Amino acid sequence: MKRLKAMARAYREYWRINVLTTLEYRENFLMWFAFTIVYHGTALGALWVVLTAFPSMNGWTFRDMAFLYGLWMLAHAVNNTFFSEIGNIPDHVHEGEFDRLLVRPLDTLFQLIATPGQTFPDELILAVSYFAAATWYSGVHVGVLFLIFVPLIALGGALIDLGINLIVGTLAFWFVRVDALQWIVAQLEQEFTRYPVSIYSRSVRLLLTFAFPFAFMNYYPAAFFLNKPENALALPPAVGLLTPLIGLAFVSVAYAFWRFGLNRYQGVGH
Amino acid sequence: MAIIETADLRKVFRSVKRRPGVGGAIAALFSREYEEKAAVDGITMSLEAGELVGYLGPNGAGKSTTIKMLTGILVPTSGSISVADLVPHRQRLENAQNIGVVFGQRSQLYWDLPLRESFALLRSIYDVPRERFRENLDHFIEILDLDEFMDTPVRQLSLGERMRGDFAAAMLHDPKIVYLDEPTIGLDVVAKEAIREFITQLNRERGTTIILTTHDLADIERLARRVILIDDGTIIFDGPISRLREEYGTHRTLVITLADSYEDVQVEGADLESREGNVVRLRFDRRRTSAEALIRRAMERYALSDIAIVEPDIDSIVRRIYREGYTEGAIGSPS
Ligand SMILES: Nc1ncnc2c1ncn2[C@@H]1O[C@H](COP(=O)(O)OP(=O)(O)OP(=O)(O)O)[C@@H](O)[C@H]1O
Ligand SMILES: [Mg+2]
Repeated sequence: MKRLKAMARAYREYWRINVLTTLEYRENFLMWFAFTIVYHGTALGALWVVLTAFPSMNGWTFRDMAFLYGLWMLAHAVNNTFFSEIGNIPDHVHEGEFDRLLVRPLDTLFQLIATPGQTFPDELILAVSYFAAATWYSGVHVGVLFLIFVPLIALGGALIDLGINLIVGTLAFWFVRVDALQWIVAQLEQEFTRYPVSIYSRSVRLLLTFAFPFAFMNYYPAAFFLNKPENALALPPAVGLLTPLIGLAFVSVAYAFWRFGLNRYQGVGH
Repeated sequence: MAIIETADLRKVFRSVKRRPGVGGAIAALFSREYEEKAAVDGITMSLEAGELVGYLGPNGAGKSTTIKMLTGILVPTSGSISVADLVPHRQRLENAQNIGVVFGQRSQLYWDLPLRESFALLRSIYDVPRERFRENLDHFIEILDLDEFMDTPVRQLSLGERMRGDFAAAMLHDPKIVYLDEPTIGLDVVAKEAIREFITQLNRERGTTIILTTHDLADIERLARRVILIDDGTIIFDGPISRLREEYGTHRTLVITLADSYEDVQVEGADLESREGNVVRLRFDRRRTSAEALIRRAMERYALSDIAIVEPDIDSIVRRIYREGYTEGAIGSPS
């Protein structure tokens, strides 16, 4: 209990430092912010182009897909805002910076997550605004269930993101450099969350549901809120509300793998 | 009661065997061969609380690897460690609360922020009570002279300033045990002195147990009473510096200042080492000639205004051991 309180205090302190560091480099921050807007704008533009050619994809219209994208963007932004440092694990290992984390009295992963990585909630603000617009545009009914579950789903989705990044990052204990794999995973995630999962083959659907549960980041929850009559694997629509649990389970598996890898850490030779 | 204890501690690094050139690199893609290297190869040592021990050895001897195991960064391949009754790599968090670590080559301060902010963060990481933190901080600011640059971003500090900041950062939580891995590397004389003074105080006033690695033997001479010398991952000497001196420092120097001017100065049993004006340095083997006899002979022949005996410095002793290896009970033939 005392430890948890200390962690909470340390976390707040880390964030204070985070914001201070970000403000040290104001121009850099503004450039990132502009990039984030352009990036998501381009992705949506591409989607719109595809959907003017085919008015619907497996029964999903552009309005539905805008909502689908919004849900992913929300989860992804939560991940990027709060867990982004996980993606830098290989750098920490490579540069030997990791040693430092191991001699401090807080969980190593917690420290990594909390580490000042010049994060600022800009992407999150953007994602929330976009999501609100997309929700209105798609005509989803906003009720109590929606208001309660959307934040949980965003968090669960972020945990799925975190889990994947953690698994890939842990591999750095064996291979040191894993940037190729990181890139591939990021591309696959984008690819498989942009369209309804039902357009893929059955084996891909199974993979996205049970092995790398990206489908829970946005597809299943979106199918539920949009009242789609069927989803990719003919599961009951309510599986769309399981995302928080799936996220927790997935991140637990990733964490166990991380602990295993940590004991293999050899450091660098100086 | 020992505060640090290791028994037959070993660390074997496993790495991919590299073959030279692009061809070798491509071949390695298909068949990987591993190479094993015992960086630490059976180290048994025991430190009492409050000791200040110099941990010495040539490059690649295994000093940093030992420290990484003691701090819990690396998991030993075999053997056992106990640090303040904890097993560092298993009870990492509890152990971390007891220790302070300074790596001379690497800073723990936040690059873009002033020292003040890094310290504040460390306070919450180690959960230091506010009162205690204030006291320590004021104390360190004073003895390390941090005042002028407390509010400058760390990236703008000189190496010496940054190092002083790093020392304060490592001690804010009152660690019982402090590991210093080359803490004076790259510093100028003044900065080195400030750091040494700080280490002495820490050890004396707070009773902190300290292990120090360095290649600057003046650090050792100034700070440590006990040295542990390692080479190739094994201990070759463990004991007080005085014993190292006795066993290895077979030659001492008699320095005499002449009261008159003499042409050619010679004293039986000693070789002329150097002469600068009236100051003459004579080197002698203490096992063959006693200092007392030598002084008597010198005084019979010359009028002297001053005499002094200089013990061999630890630097030349250690250099000799690195070069010739250590053999129990000093070196055989006097040369
Ligand atoms: N992460 C690692 N992977 C492979 N080999 C390593 C690693 N770390 C250290 N070594 C090897 O282990 C040996 C001991 O290294 P260590 O860093 O402990 O030496 P040291 O005594 O601290 O040397 P120095 O005085 O140069 O700092 C060296 O041969 C080094 O190459
Ligand atoms: Mg070293």
